[in-house]
Formats: sequence, structure tokens, C-alpha cells
Amino acid sequence: MSSHTVSSHTGSSRTGSQPPSIAIVDANNFYVSCERIFDPRLEGKPVVVLSNNDGCVIARSQEAKTLGIDMAASWQSIAAEAAAKGVIARSSNYELYGDISARCVELLGRFTSSQEVYSIDESFIRLTGSAEQVSGIAREIRVATKKMIGLPVSIGIASSKTLAKLANRGSKSSAALQGVCNLGSYAPAQVTAILASVDASDVWGIGSRTAQKLAGMGIHTAADLRDTDAVQLRRRFGVNQERVVQELRGVDCLPLEEERSDREQIQFSRSFAVPISTVAELEEVLSVYTQRAAARLREQGSLARMMGCTASTSPFRDNHVSHAVSLAFPDPTDDPVQMYRAAITALGPQLQAGQQYVRVGVSLYEFSSRDSHASLDIFGTAPAPFAAGAVLDSIAAKYGQENLGLGRAGLKTNRAWTMRREMVSPRATTHWDELITVAAK
Amino acid sequence: MHAVNPIVRPVSGVSADTGQRFIQEALESVHAGFPSPAQGYYNGPVDLNRHLIRDPTSTFIVRVSGDSMTGAGIFDGDEVIVDRSLEARDGSVVIAVVDNELTIKRLRLDGDTVRLVPENPAYPDIVLHELSELSVWGVVTRCLHRV
Repeated sequence: MSSHTVSSHTGSSRTGSQPPSIAIVDANNFYVSCERIFDPRLEGKPVVVLSNNDGCVIARSQEAKTLGIDMAASWQSIAAEAAAKGVIARSSNYELYGDISARCVELLGRFTSSQEVYSIDESFIRLTGSAEQVSGIAREIRVATKKMIGLPVSIGIASSKTLAKLANRGSKSSAALQGVCNLGSYAPAQVTAILASVDASDVWGIGSRTAQKLAGMGIHTAADLRDTDAVQLRRRFGVNQERVVQELRGVDCLPLEEERSDREQIQFSRSFAVPISTVAELEEVLSVYTQRAAARLREQGSLARMMGCTASTSPFRDNHVSHAVSLAFPDPTDDPVQMYRAAITALGPQLQAGQQYVRVGVSLYEFSSRDSHASLDIFGTAPAPFAAGAVLDSIAAKYGQENLGLGRAGLKTNRAWTMRREMVSPRATTHWDELITVAAK
Repeated sequence: MHAVNPIVRPVSGVSADTGQRFIQEALESVHAGFPSPAQGYYNGPVDLNRHLIRDPTSTFIVRVSGDSMTGAGIFDGDEVIVDRSLEARDGSVVIAVVDNELTIKRLRLDGDTVRLVPENPAYPDIVLHELSELSVWGVVTRCLHRV
């Protein structure tokens, strides 16, 4: 649709009287919404999606929230009661959600030149123009995601990420806003009133323990926090909390971390809906990510000389830990076996058992063309590094991604983050034998 | 035949094999050999994705069950390509939501009446009295039929 392909208002220039706005686009009850795209029977019904192993509730439709179904409730203990209330449960179908997420990311990219994929269901994007224009683009985005993908989204807009997150809460709280809340369109006094209605503990970046300490200092709302002496706050809590204060004042302190998958860098980085805490699970995630990144690398015919791996817990929790290593391969490679081993060797020793990791990433960079390196084989300076990756790709294409893999990801049974899925919907967008059926009758 | 001067570039990091830190000098690639005479003419084989799918982001493939669309050349078990970004018009074959079920029909718009028409005389039309009752999931652009 041509009107969605290019938006004339986008751009990243900071000139003129209109500072760029930051919008967070957040899919509503994302997992449930993905299920509803392919199953209209779920529309208007209370629906929950369960974690791996059908363990606990990780997503709820609005109707399920209204019924009082708790987030993270153990499914086993509430199944009977929930069924009596008409709640429909689905096992998590991460391949479907991942595909819908990728479509959404691509679609959002048509409206902006600057995008940070924050999690599977949230992207920050930069929009420029007057408040009115920016709100108009946001409304266009909502129409486009709903029509083209079937995904309902809410959008919060402001001059900083933290305020955009706060606006996004607002966009969901009032039906009159129709899913778009742009703080830029309010008068300063109105913004203050909005901030005064939000608890400090609900501000993005304020952990619960920090919130308690703030309460002890008489800081209860986002407005209180905004009006605190930032320097004093930094002395007590550190630079991150000072940034929150600046961000609440509308100062953009947290630049967009753009995910790049261009010719120079491939990045595979995602936040998890549910933190993972065992080294084994992390190794499995690393394994999958290195394989995906290597597959992309092979698609574009490149070899990578460098790899970076990251793992981090929530930055908003106390005792936040974050690991990052970079390493160089002896020879440029696209071999996922080598990448996975390297990732485990480098990152493995740093991982701390028991930590709640919420984000893991793998990036490849320092590319060269595979063709130019193939010729090096003649001189025997490079090992034959391409075979394993190509074989994995062809087997995955033929028999499905989970039938062969590396390391822990190669074990089809006992995969902690994908195993029991008794109520799983078809992987309608990624598996030919699981396409949804439409009735011709 | 051509050769590119090697470029020396220091690379540092952690050894993938031993985990030890090192500094390595890497050589940039050296081109050698006869270039293919087809170079510059060959852009890869015909790619069905490119020709059958206008916009991958809004395109889904679904499988048809039943024989109510045989008149349109769509048979039981065929797969159809659905582009959600297209506007449904009079005459479009659409996937519509009817009674909470996805169904494939020919859309007929005639004044205020909206009809979802099967392409098989054995099946009745579905008549909607207002456009607002119509819920189109996507517009069918192609049918993949095994011959």
C-alpha cells in the first residue's frame, strides 16, 4: 500500500523548532493478539497464553484480566476455575509470535528512519513533525498494523523514552484516546497533572526498592520525581536514576539502540517475556541465536571475523548484571558450530547461575565476502568452514528447524523453553504443514 | 586476472578456541582466478516469492477446505495467497470472517447489499444487509493448485 510505504514526515534531523518525538509502539496483549489473528473464535473471549510446559499464565486478553486471572498464575492450579469461567488457554507458539513480531518491526520501519526493537512486542521509533502531524502518523500506524497484519497496537509519544512509556500507559487507560497518547499535544500544566497521577514505582526505570526509598524521601509520583534535585538523586542512587529525572523533564538521555541487520552487522537480540535463570537455558538461547545469525550471514554470502555476545538482567532491578564479550575468529567464518562454541567459551564463564536474565544477544560484524575467501582455499590458508552451516540450513529447510541443531538446541526433547505445548495453535506462518484452514462451504 | 593488495588490519579479542586474549593481524581477501563470462548477466534463478508475493509483510498463505469455490478454480486442499493490504472490491475473492470462522468467498457489492458468493451452485449466498457487517480478513491473489 503506497501510503504506508513512505511517510513524508519521517526523518532524523534535529533542526528547526520541532524536536523529534519518540514513540513507543506496543502490541496489545501481544501473544493473545497473535493467536486471534488466525482464530476469530477467540475475539471478545477471555484468552490466556501459557508459558513453556503450560506452566503459568504469561499473557491475558483484556477479558481474562477483567475476570481476575492473574499474570504468572500457575495454570495447573487455576485451570478448572478458569475453564468454568469460559477462559480459553493456548500454549505459547513462539514461532508464530516471532514471525508476527518481525512483520510488525518491518512495517514500523516504513514510518521511521530510526527504530529500536525493544522487545518482541515493543519498538521505539523516532517521528518528526508537529505534535499534530506526529499523532497523525501514529494513527496511521495503528490502522496499518491492524489491517496489514491483524495486530492491534497502542502508541505513546513524548520527547523522551521514559515519557513515551508513561504516555503508552495512558493510551491504554482511556478509550477516548483510541490507542494514541501524545504528551506533546498537552499543555505543560496538563502534563504535570498526568505525571502527578502516576506512581513513581510505575515510572520506567524505577525498581521497587528504589521506589520505596524514594517514598521515604517524600517522592511518591512521577511529578514528584521530575521535580527532584537531579544531582542530589545521582549522589544517592547513581547516574541511572538521575537520567530518569532528566527524561521525565523531557530531556532525551537514552538514545535509541537501533538493531542493525545491514551489510555491516547482523544482530540477534531479544528480551524474554519470562526471565531465564539457568545456564543451560542460556546456552540453549545462545545456540539458537548463533544459528539464526549464521544463517542470515550465509544468506547474504558473507563471512564474519568478529562476534559479540551479551546477556543481561533487567536494568531496572537491583543487582543488575550485564555481560558483554567480543571475540575474533582465527579466520572469517559463517560456521554456526564454531560460533556457538566461541560464544559459550567466551560468555559461559561469566554467566551467573540464579540470575534472572531477560535479554541475550549475538552480533556478527567485520564482514567479508564469502566468494573472495573461497579462493583462499586454494592456498590452504583457511579451513573448510562452510560445510556444517550449509548442511544445517538444508536439513532445517527440509525437516523443520527443531529437528537438528547445535549443542543444547539440538535436543528435541527436554527443551526447557519450548517443550510441553498441549494447546498450541498451528505455526501458521512458518510451517507449510501447519497452514491454517479456511472453509469453502 | 586481477589481484588486490592485501590490507593489514589489527584485530584483537578473545580467542574462540582457547578463550585467551590475543591480538591478531588479518589479511584482507585476495582475488584470483578467471572471472565467469556470465558475471554481470546472472541475477539468480526465478524467485516465486518475488513474483507471487507483492508485500511479504502483509501476505499470508492459507489452505482451503471444501469445494464451494471450484467455479473460481479453487479446489479442496489448494493453498491460496492472501494479501491483507489490498482493498476488497466487488468481484474480489476474499477470506471473510463469518460466524467466527474464516471462509473463502467471492465478494459482491451491489448498492447497499453485500453478498459473499460461493462459486458452486450447491452452496447458498450469504447476504449481509450492511457493509459494517462485513469482516474481510484478506484478499486472495493467487491459488496454488496441484495439477
